[in-house]
Amino acid sequence: MATLSHVFRQDNQQVFVLHTYPFKETSLVVELFSREHGRIAMVAKGARRPRSAMRGMLQSFQPLIGAWSGKLELKTLHSLEWGSGLLLLQGEALMCGFYLNELLLRLLPREDPHQALFDFYGQTLKTLSASFQHAPTLRRFELRLLQELGYAVPLVHDEQEDDIHPEKTYSYFAERGACSDHSGYANRNGVQLIGKTLQDMAQDDYSDPLTQLQSKQLMRMLLAYYLGDKPLHTRQLLIDLQQF
Amino acid sequence: MKNPQALDQLVESLRCLPGVGPKSALRMAYHLLQRDRPGADRLANSIQNALQIVSHCQLCNNLSEQSICSLCSSDNRDTSLLCVVEMPTDLMMLEQTHSFQGLYFVLMGRLSPLDGIGPKEIHLEKLIRRAKDGTVREVILATNYTVEGEATAHYINELLSARGLRVSRIARGLPMGGEIENVDSGTLAQAIMERRSL
Ligand SMILES: [Zn+2]
Repeated sequence: MATLSHVFRQDNQQVFVLHTYPFKETSLVVELFSREHGRIAMVAKGARRPRSAMRGMLQSFQPLIGAWSGKLELKTLHSLEWGSGLLLLQGEALMCGFYLNELLLRLLPREDPHQALFDFYGQTLKTLSASFQHAPTLRRFELRLLQELGYAVPLVHDEQEDDIHPEKTYSYFAERGACSDHSGYANRNGVQLIGKTLQDMAQDDYSDPLTQLQSKQLMRMLLAYYLGDKPLHTRQLLIDLQQF
Repeated sequence: MKNPQALDQLVESLRCLPGVGPKSALRMAYHLLQRDRPGADRLANSIQNALQIVSHCQLCNNLSEQSICSLCSSDNRDTSLLCVVEMPTDLMMLEQTHSFQGLYFVLMGRLSPLDGIGPKEIHLEKLIRRAKDGTVREVILATNYTVEGEATAHYINELLSARGLRVSRIARGLPMGGEIENVDSGTLAQAIMERRSL
């Protein structure tokens, strides 16, 4: 028998809006990243009406406090208000933000809490809004995302469990890690990099231009592996914009 | 029971309208065929007619019956100012203020990275051509203050500044008659960050 406990109301939840899309005539479906509940979808009823109180609040990259109810996959959003500290992402940083959101939408399973990742995402947005060098920030987030999702990205040992040697060249494969050139995988298309790149990444040091380049190639390959065939919209948009 | 094929087709066609699902499409179809056949006839004709004579103005990209719309061909506008808006309704709102004498460009949308809406869909090439006509001195970006509108403004600024045009962005902050006590904290925080010196 249905009782009130089945309403499953959640109040005072820390959330970020990942994306919204139109639903029925005047509503929106909102994809939220919640600290306690992970990625969840809900309907914001009437949010497309001109005078909707929620309308201006449904903006990505802002820490928000939300309340909703429902136990089905699509919940009902009741309210949103500003959380602590407004973030101002502008220009390039804004596009980086869209990229983070697309990664989360594509890779985070629904209703799977990732509190540490949530905190790291908030921190990453803060960094994006305050700096001009975004590449290291994106690499850190990509790496952390894969690690939090449980994908191994070994950086300290090669596939034989030997220590990574800074000057040695490796081929890096998803699900396998760094392989020495003379191992059996060398002729398959892994990412070629030197050991120092992996060591720098393990130590969170992206100051070396070669590390920046090779870590970008490595993360792009790993993400492509876990994302599958469908390309990222945000990456395509940047390519299209460069044609002008 | 199976519907007549033509009815199914009509229902399917009505579903191209935004926010119209299978149920409301069926309701509309029944209404048109049962209760208001003359209305249905007028609707069919006006859609046909509009499709034939309405297209995009060559200059401002707004919907128009002429190749150059009446606003763009008016003699009373300041041709050195070009204001970029997302939608025709935005243009109408700005016109109602009677405070802008320049010309417009209507993007018919905004960049929306997560929906795959890119530069082609918002006619950036046409905008660049328009802005570089030699008469335009300043381009005013009046896209929305949403994350998508901001991204759109950012990239248009990059593209036009690189081509030597002066680009500005409409201001934001407290609303007319706004009292700090009653303004949402997002608007207020932005007003502080984007304060101006006196
Ligand atoms: Zn025109």
